[in-house]
Amino acid sequence: MLVKLFATLIEFTGKRKLEISGPKTVGELLDELDRMFPGFKKELEQGHIILVNGKNIEHLQGLDTPLREDDTISIFPPAGGG
Amino acid sequence: MYGNWGRFLRVNLSTGEVKVEEYGEELAKKWLGSRGLAIYLLLKEMDPKADPLGPENKLIIAPGPLSGTSAPTGGRYNVVTKSPQTGFITMSNSGGYFGAELKFAGWDAIVVEGQSEKPVYIYIKDDHVEIRDASHLWGKVVSETEAAIKKEIGSNKLHIASIGPAGENLVKFAAIINDGHRAAGRAGVGAVMGSKKLKAIAVEGSKRVPIADRQKFMLVVREKINKLRNDPVAGGGLPKYGTAVLVNIINENGLYPTRNFQTGVFEHAYEQSGEAMTAKYLIRNQPCYACPIGCGRVNKLPTVGVTEGPEYESIWALGANLGINDLASIIEANHQCDEFGLDTISTGGTLAAAMELYEKGYLTDEELGDAPPFRWGNTEVLHYYIEKIAKREGLGDKLAEGSYRFAEMYGHPEYSMSVKKLELPAYDPRGAEGHGLGYATNNRGGCHIKNYMISPEILGYPYKMDPHDISDDKVKMLILFQDLSAVIDAAGLCLFTTFGLGADDYRDMLNAALGWDFSTEDYLKIGERIWNAERLFNLKAGFDPAKDETLPKRFLEEPMPEGPNKGHVVRLKEMLPRYYALRGWTEDGRIPKEKAEELGIAEFL
Ligand code: SF4
Repeated sequence: MLVKLFATLIEFTGKRKLEISGPKTVGELLDELDRMFPGFKKELEQGHIILVNGKNIEHLQGLDTPLREDDTISIFPPAGGG
Repeated sequence: MYGNWGRFLRVNLSTGEVKVEEYGEELAKKWLGSRGLAIYLLLKEMDPKADPLGPENKLIIAPGPLSGTSAPTGGRYNVVTKSPQTGFITMSNSGGYFGAELKFAGWDAIVVEGQSEKPVYIYIKDDHVEIRDASHLWGKVVSETEAAIKKEIGSNKLHIASIGPAGENLVKFAAIINDGHRAAGRAGVGAVMGSKKLKAIAVEGSKRVPIADRQKFMLVVREKINKLRNDPVAGGGLPKYGTAVLVNIINENGLYPTRNFQTGVFEHAYEQSGEAMTAKYLIRNQPCYACPIGCGRVNKLPTVGVTEGPEYESIWALGANLGINDLASIIEANHQCDEFGLDTISTGGTLAAAMELYEKGYLTDEELGDAPPFRWGNTEVLHYYIEKIAKREGLGDKLAEGSYRFAEMYGHPEYSMSVKKLELPAYDPRGAEGHGLGYATNNRGGCHIKNYMISPEILGYPYKMDPHDISDDKVKMLILFQDLSAVIDAAGLCLFTTFGLGADDYRDMLNAALGWDFSTEDYLKIGERIWNAERLFNLKAGFDPAKDETLPKRFLEEPMPEGPNKGHVVRLKEMLPRYYALRGWTEDGRIPKEKAEELGIAEFL
């Protein structure tokens, strides 16, 4: 699956995009990212926007949202503007 | 009276008369100030049917009770007038330092009336007010105007709001620019200023805003500043990446309008995002007066040197909406718009409509002659036409009428992505339906600022709402946003504080400064009064809800072609009747006598 990272997460991981294989849910994906980049989950503690194929996981099944190998997941730290 | 001075300036440019007028606290308790005071004065004194570019229209420039205080972001002011673009009310809001300076000079507002025969500017130093000749400034761009006035007066402490050639030439979407790059941008306030032959207002002040309980106010302010500093958005993403941090978020959510809103996904979004701009061009942040957030950008380019901006909206309008990805060209175009005094959103929206008309064959090469063709992604179009529009030269003269009138000239107004003829900002409402209802019902037309439903629908503030939910909860949230933003505007604060503050926080600051003991509900009532009063002005100006309270056909009938919102339209017809009912209006969207009485505005019915 394609994982896209944005804003401070790019600086934190040094990556904008990465291919990951294996995680079956968004929760498992975050665990995997935390293993690859220790402290990743802590970076999201103050809030986050996680989209699976452009749909916010808040309206899917949250961290239990199932993932398939051809999904695109976009992860943002909290953000706003106007 | 505290917070407000209880007096405003009335300047009649037809007669050259300058008057000081006073008002009492009762009025402040009803209208708060700024945007509120202004709509009250307009309803009381002006025929809403007046020609917006005629002498009967009034241009009201007003900071609020918290402008010029230490309240976070307390530097804003509103420009309220009848818009030449929409024919309805507009309240364009700007930051920088001008609003605070006007307050320091001791004024709650300047009411500009009539029309001068020759170009003039107004110079204010505390109680000293002068109307000065500006013939030598006519035709000058904003930076030249500001520099010339500072030299002439011999003061670098001046803060200046002026128009560029676009305002002088009555471009329907001309802006008023202060402090070089801050814009009261939307709906043609610069053209109203130009119609009065008023080139600039230059202000210098030395007074301290009266505060009821200074010690308490300081404590409250400190608490709110801390809240903003600790907020992950107001203290994190916004200062770090600017408002352009939104580019990727809105694009990934599938509502970043591309090629005149033909789709909501732009393949080159990353290249024009806040992340890319910060990495490539940013040299520092530029906060407005008393702002702990500091979202403003200062960028450096080989072509234009050091310049401020662009904001998210401008990047999109001069970028994705035209299929343009080159960030350097966008920054340069934004700089040009500031210099000529053009609203970036409407400039981009108008060029986008022209591009779609060209794509569909309604606007032909023959008509363009040697000018660059309106092809998606053609950056030449930007630099060429911004100047042509401001000067009303060649096709620029027609484009200066805005997208609606332009597309109408070619027989296809449906390609104008506007509401009430005001070009829409950077969110495709098919990806946020509550935001769509906000566009349709906004008193000044296609604007996001006064009802930013993107916040709950996409960003999750104050909590996440499904973008495709259209329940009453959604409609109620929109009404709350509309009323609350009226309060924040009237207070003289920046709407970006809402990322870290809630309605109670504004109550705390206002009560400490003004010496009142209003509840949050009392303040929201003022917001509701302002919203209703502005609608009343529109209804009297000829606003017809059945015809005007709508969205471009594209959003109602053409499902989004791709991305996460594929297949969606905006179900406006289902939401509108419930919006009217929850507002306490009639079924046909009018304000009934009981509602007007409840809000204390029945005298204007
Ligand atoms: S948040 Fe941005 S726009 Fe608002 S006052 Fe601060 S710098 Fe100005």
